[in-house]
Amino acid sequence: MTYTAFECLKVERHGPVGWLINDRPHQLNAMSAQMRDEFALAWQELDADPDVRVIVHTGEGRAFQTGVDVSEIAGDGVGMERYRESLENFDLHFTAWHQQVWKPVITAVNGICAGGGFHWVADADIVIAASDAQFFDPHVSIGQVVAIEAIGLLRKMPAEAVMRMAFVGRHERLSAERAYELGMISQVVDPPERLREAAQELAEKIALNSPAAMAATKRALWGALELGLTDACRAGAGELVSMWGHPDQTEGPLAFAEKRDARWQVE
Amino acid sequence: MAAPVSYETLIVERRGAVGWLVFDRPDAANAMDATMLDELERAWAELDADPEVRVIVNTGAGRAFQTGLDVVQLSRDPEALREQSRRTKRAELRLTGWHNQVWKPIIAAVNGVCAGGGLHFVADADIVIASSDATFLDPHVSIGQVSAYETIALARKSPMEAITRMALTGRHERITAARAHQLGIVSEVVDPPEGLREAAQELADKIALNSPTAMAATKRALWGALEMGLTDACRAGSAELVAMWGHPDQTEGPLAFTERRAPRWQPLGPTRGEPS
Repeated sequence: MTYTAFECLKVERHGPVGWLINDRPHQLNAMSAQMRDEFALAWQELDADPDVRVIVHTGEGRAFQTGVDVSEIAGDGVGMERYRESLENFDLHFTAWHQQVWKPVITAVNGICAGGGFHWVADADIVIAASDAQFFDPHVSIGQVVAIEAIGLLRKMPAEAVMRMAFVGRHERLSAERAYELGMISQVVDPPERLREAAQELAEKIALNSPAAMAATKRALWGALELGLTDACRAGAGELVSMWGHPDQTEGPLAFAEKRDARWQVE
Repeated sequence: MAAPVSYETLIVERRGAVGWLVFDRPDAANAMDATMLDELERAWAELDADPEVRVIVNTGAGRAFQTGLDVVQLSRDPEALREQSRRTKRAELRLTGWHNQVWKPIIAAVNGVCAGGGLHFVADADIVIASSDATFLDPHVSIGQVSAYETIALARKSPMEAITRMALTGRHERITAARAHQLGIVSEVVDPPEGLREAAQELADKIALNSPTAMAATKRALWGALEMGLTDACRAGSAELVAMWGHPDQTEGPLAFTERRAPRWQPLGPTRGEPS
């Protein structure tokens, strides 16, 4: 499959792993209006590629992502008004969760992750970071409200740490080490240069599992954030049962019993 | 205690105020066969109904804690498999204390590997401790199965990223007891591992010093809160709180405190059922 030639992103495939790389290193990968549009398409292309079983998202240069491009906002005469409708309707399209991508997504945080950059931390299934990664949320320091990305994080990790970042703004940074202790991320890669290699290794392990079972598991777990516990379990049971009769569901135990690699169905 | 009930796949016993529910199929890594599925429901009911039991400890015999459904055995018992499938489908599982609506405090003491469906008993316990050699993994997706119930509840009680990672890496990665402790999935790691049951009994003995009725209401309030938004949960919690007013324990507690003596709590009958 050939991917669109993007200006602000790189999209590549290495084995079963699709890579989405933020590529505005001189702007610390800040999201311009064009990049925002490119994200929407890039996620769709990676999702549609049957050779991609797992997606890794990272950035070029010394930052992972630093949110909306503030210089563009300040200088283009339109500012945040450009995004009013999409926010009022909560009609966003720049993360895998927004785009309803049910393949596993790993965010690999290289360097700085600030403000709107947290969207891709909050909305990933798995997050790893280079040992020199730093996290902070400067929204309130420049007179903006933080809501969506912090709300996602609040549901996935200890709340105090998220509130502290929201209110301290640009005056403090969270280290990769502390993010690991808090369970915001599950792996710190040192030296930092090894980040992509570590992400590829992790993604290849995940790619050994049944794509169909992972998609249903992902729907069950993210769906659970929408509901009370009992209702979430009921909805989860629906995902669970939907797999019964799928070829992978019999192939898995069989391969295990025969001590061989499973041959999963490609959707 | 009522007439003793005998079990094939579980050990159910009482030590002081503590009821023990021990998975006892060590040769099958304590996987749940059809008999165990039946016996679990009976054992929770028995421990819940016994007023002498104030706290329940759940652990496993041998090297494993619990490794989920014994698919091999169940495939030879189509009737039992059908029944379990039906319960899974209708969200009517009866494996854990939460499924069986037991409102006494439950401690899971994880004594080794806890895999797949074994995570139900970690997710649904009030308190989890583990031996230092315990490990946690969820191999469902590695054998073409979906992970739902266990990981849904765990994701609500611990940092979610760790749980989605466990669910998606399948059998290719394990969480150690030390990492589970950092993440707050367990609150105590016991080293050496042989000290686990003693540590569990000590913890349970401490908990048994508290008012059984107040603990049941507290447990209903906290688990009930996982069902709703914050304000609604606080409203429902207020009802549990006020329901205790006028109960003898509610005046005995402050009195014993001022008189510097141990309180005499009212015994608590069966707690099972929907929260009032």
